[in-house]
Amino acid sequence: MSDDLPAASHSIAEFIHGYEEDHVLRGFRCPKCSLVTATWGLACPRCGSLERTETRLADSGKVAAFTILSVPGDDFLNDAPYAYVVVDLDDGARVTGWMPGVKQQTDLTIGERVRFVPSYKPGVQFVKDADPSARR
Amino acid sequence: MRETWIVGAASNRFGKMAETGREAATRVAFEAIRQSGLEPKDIDYTFVSNCFGMAEKQGHVGPLINGGLGIPNVPSCTIESACSSSSAALHEAFVHVAGGFADAALVVGVEKLSQLDTLTATSYFAEAADYAFETRNGATFPGLYATLANAYLHQYPMRPEVLGSVAVKAHANAVHNPHAHFRKAISMETYLNSPMIASPLRLYDCCPFSDGAAAVVVAAKESVPHPSMEPLVVRASARAGSITDMQDRPDLLGLPATRVAAEKAFRQAHLEPRQIDFLEVHDCFTIAELLALEDLGFFPRGSAGKAEIEGVTAHDGALPVNPDGGLKAKGHPVSATGASQVVEIFEQVNGKAHGREVPRTETALAHNVGATGGSCSVHIFSRR
Repeated sequence: MSDDLPAASHSIAEFIHGYEEDHVLRGFRCPKCSLVTATWGLACPRCGSLERTETRLADSGKVAAFTILSVPGDDFLNDAPYAYVVVDLDDGARVTGWMPGVKQQTDLTIGERVRFVPSYKPGVQFVKDADPSARR
Repeated sequence: MRETWIVGAASNRFGKMAETGREAATRVAFEAIRQSGLEPKDIDYTFVSNCFGMAEKQGHVGPLINGGLGIPNVPSCTIESACSSSSAALHEAFVHVAGGFADAALVVGVEKLSQLDTLTATSYFAEAADYAFETRNGATFPGLYATLANAYLHQYPMRPEVLGSVAVKAHANAVHNPHAHFRKAISMETYLNSPMIASPLRLYDCCPFSDGAAAVVVAAKESVPHPSMEPLVVRASARAGSITDMQDRPDLLGLPATRVAAEKAFRQAHLEPRQIDFLEVHDCFTIAELLALEDLGFFPRGSAGKAEIEGVTAHDGALPVNPDGGLKAKGHPVSATGASQVVEIFEQVNGKAHGREVPRTETALAHNVGATGGSCSVHIFSRR
């Protein structure tokens, strides 16, 4: 599922460029503790190892935790209510993102399958796997 | 290390301050010093917390406070650790005094955000999260705790009344606290009918934005031969950090920094949880109190809610938690919160907590969290 990326993604800007422009989620894989993470850093946030492999993360996974925000964040004033989600991607990476149109607690369940879909606005956007816009 | 005491502790009333943060901070500092029997000139160092001073167009407030106290030559610095700022400042003061670098140190925490509208204040609070990886993805501060709440409730399903009981207890206690922002009891019905902010957290699950100031005087035992108030002996002053981002934490059930800080603190104090008489814990949201009680080792994972609903944590219960009303009802002036927890313990020990007295006051613990657990302080106090 995940391919090693030839291009350097050693910056937060590269990560953001990745999901906004290249439509991929970029991350790191730690060969020591096998953590796969999207979070920027010079060392593995779990074990401190400096040997990190840049990788393309999986596009889809399962909701690990979420909330429905009625009072939105700064850049999401016209999107509330929406879901803020923590997602366990299929390659073991855990990332956070948001889901438009998910308006109440009963609209989503922990364990439900979701997929990363590029958005017109800032933020990693997920939609339900069953959503037609998930197919590209 | 020298035996180190809290010899004075004062707070203003949390809520909306007409005066500037600098004025409020100077007043509570003056009051804490006056209580201690020391004089301003006895202070060797001032540690200030004022995370959001920029909201008042004021940074570097320490020298202004010291100037206002008539001790302009005393060194000061500002300590920032989000919502755990003034407990971090207390830790620095402890390190200075216990280590012999100061005989007496002043800790002052102050915040004033009421001049901002709610959305601006909400975005200030979110600044303690990871902007690139959390806030930019739509997270708010309540949203992050709500995410933890859903993870917890998924593992340990419980009725909404369980979280509600934390809020109802906090408000009941705050009625008797003259420092509290909300001195108003709420019913379970009021709780359940309050609007959803970030599911499952309702309005009454959330602490308010408060203005406020609190100060603590820390001194070496030998420099206060005749304390005017009953001092608190600092038995432990421990801090820990943990991965800020939820996306890199091994699990979402609790805050790792609390677990680490608590282990350190109990080891320092040579005490166990069962020997603690009452607690001040960081209940920025009701779920945070359950996580705290379990991470600190007072209840097994998933069982703090039962204790809450059975009244164990009431101010006259077997293990009183937040007799001052907590962040939830006393209010949460970010940088004043940690110091204000010590004010409550000081007032309980000195018989000044009228109407909210806890049964036993030999030992107490204060737990203060920065954001969603990137930072945590745990202090343990006892009587002489």
